[in-house]
Amino acid sequence: MDSRTAGVAQGAPTDWLDGWKTLFWGCAALLICNVFLWVWDYNFAFTAGLNSASRDFTLHYRTLFWGELLTVGIFAGVWYGWLVRTGRALAGETISSREEVRRIVVLWGIIGATSLSLYIEASFWPNWDGAWHQTMVRDTALTPTHIPMFYFFFPLSVVLALGAYLYGRFRIPAVYGADKGFPWSFFLLIAAAVLEFVQVAFNEWGHSLWLSEEFFSVPFHWPFVAYGWLAGGMFAVWGETILRLYGIEKEARGAAEVPTQTAAAGGR
Amino acid sequence: MATAAPSAAAAALAQRQKRLELRELLNAKYIYIDRTWDVVFWVTAIFIVAGAADITRLLFAGDWDFWTDWKDPQWWPVVTAFATIIIPSALQWIQWVAWRFPTGATYTCVCLFLASWIGRYFQWHIAEGYPINFVWPISTVPAAIILDWILMRTRSFVLTSLFGGAVWAVMVWAFNYIPLAPFLQPAQFMHHVLTVADVQGIVYIRSQTPEYLRHIERGALRSFLGETQYVSLLFGGTLAMVGYWVGQLIGRYLAVWPIGRYIKTY
Repeated sequence: MDSRTAGVAQGAPTDWLDGWKTLFWGCAALLICNVFLWVWDYNFAFTAGLNSASRDFTLHYRTLFWGELLTVGIFAGVWYGWLVRTGRALAGETISSREEVRRIVVLWGIIGATSLSLYIEASFWPNWDGAWHQTMVRDTALTPTHIPMFYFFFPLSVVLALGAYLYGRFRIPAVYGADKGFPWSFFLLIAAAVLEFVQVAFNEWGHSLWLSEEFFSVPFHWPFVAYGWLAGGMFAVWGETILRLYGIEKEARGAAEVPTQTAAAGGR
Repeated sequence: MATAAPSAAAAALAQRQKRLELRELLNAKYIYIDRTWDVVFWVTAIFIVAGAADITRLLFAGDWDFWTDWKDPQWWPVVTAFATIIIPSALQWIQWVAWRFPTGATYTCVCLFLASWIGRYFQWHIAEGYPINFVWPISTVPAAIILDWILMRTRSFVLTSLFGGAVWAVMVWAFNYIPLAPFLQPAQFMHHVLTVADVQGIVYIRSQTPEYLRHIERGALRSFLGETQYVSLLFGGTLAMVGYWVGQLIGRYLAVWPIGRYIKTY
């Protein structure tokens, strides 16, 4: 048992500074990224972001675009690889009630970060996007407000939603084990994130075809809304894990002794 | 009479039993369930609720909400009433089913209020430079409190949609008419009498939007003169009833129905 596992075993799984640290660190990382991108746009949108044919635009925005995609891609690859590799090692192991509760806490942390990411992509940046496009000429799909919104937070929400499922799939088998099938909750949540991302293509195609005047409530924007509603599946994730928590409580009271936590199961 | 008394007594007994079960559930000493779950749920749900409510308003009715000069008597009461009731209705279902809390609409609209002001202040005001008194967002919180009160009193989603939808359109307009009214005062600008909101729309350039007069003043509804507002509110109320049921579908089938359901793989 390493020091991290020992810490988990001593405190309650829901201690603010221990159990919920995934939530806090996840949200902190998202906020740091968001502040960086906002300050970047605040400094360079008007000075380098108006003419997509300029050298300044390439220097400040095309590099940012590729940097974002690479960052999200590398993060997804490393995180998913770790989740699947360590998850397979955990398969079939008996887990204690405490450990299962801790894993649900971690899942809620990832879901909480996904919720924040969806807010940033659905409210924070669309506000600037609306202000920008009702004021500035659009000469590229990679406008300064699109680059943080469409090409960082949109794919990041997909990565977080799918990562949350992978976490549950391998670590919370009582709710998301392979034998149960694919949960509708995650199907809807992942579909919301994926469809929002692919709707970007239709959006840019529509802007290139139909309108030079910028209505924000133009009909070809509406799929963004309908796809966003699918994120209601997040409430189902909360609901089914709450039901599992009550199940664990019941089992823990019924059991004379909670099964001993294995060293391999702790801290992942 | 002879059979009515025992059945009433049985019902009272069952009710008492249910109360005792709930009290036991409430006072039970849990091993793993504590208040941190409540805090985390209610706080992290703020983000997804705010995001869903704001994107729904932004992309269905955003143009009429962004600017004071677009808050007109013809379209604003209609599109805003429809767009803003959808997510509050969904949360009403979720909170009523899960906790019997008649607070879903108020919770949603407080989330939306916070998200709206963050967006308008940082993006429209700080980043783009528009004065905040030109781009302030409406508030749906007072209307949401009334919508929740209707649900609490009627305990019926059908009645809440019928009465609440109509009341919603009127209340959203009425409560936001108070901050809007100063911008509807007459002002003389370049030898023409306009409203203060019109002057804002002309002075602060929006080079990519359609010009104000062509878009807003289109349509024959102006022939109704002073009645325009009331006709729009009536139609807005009708659309809000429809929007309420769109929200119910989201709450029932996208948020609650999937709990514990799986797509079987063969």
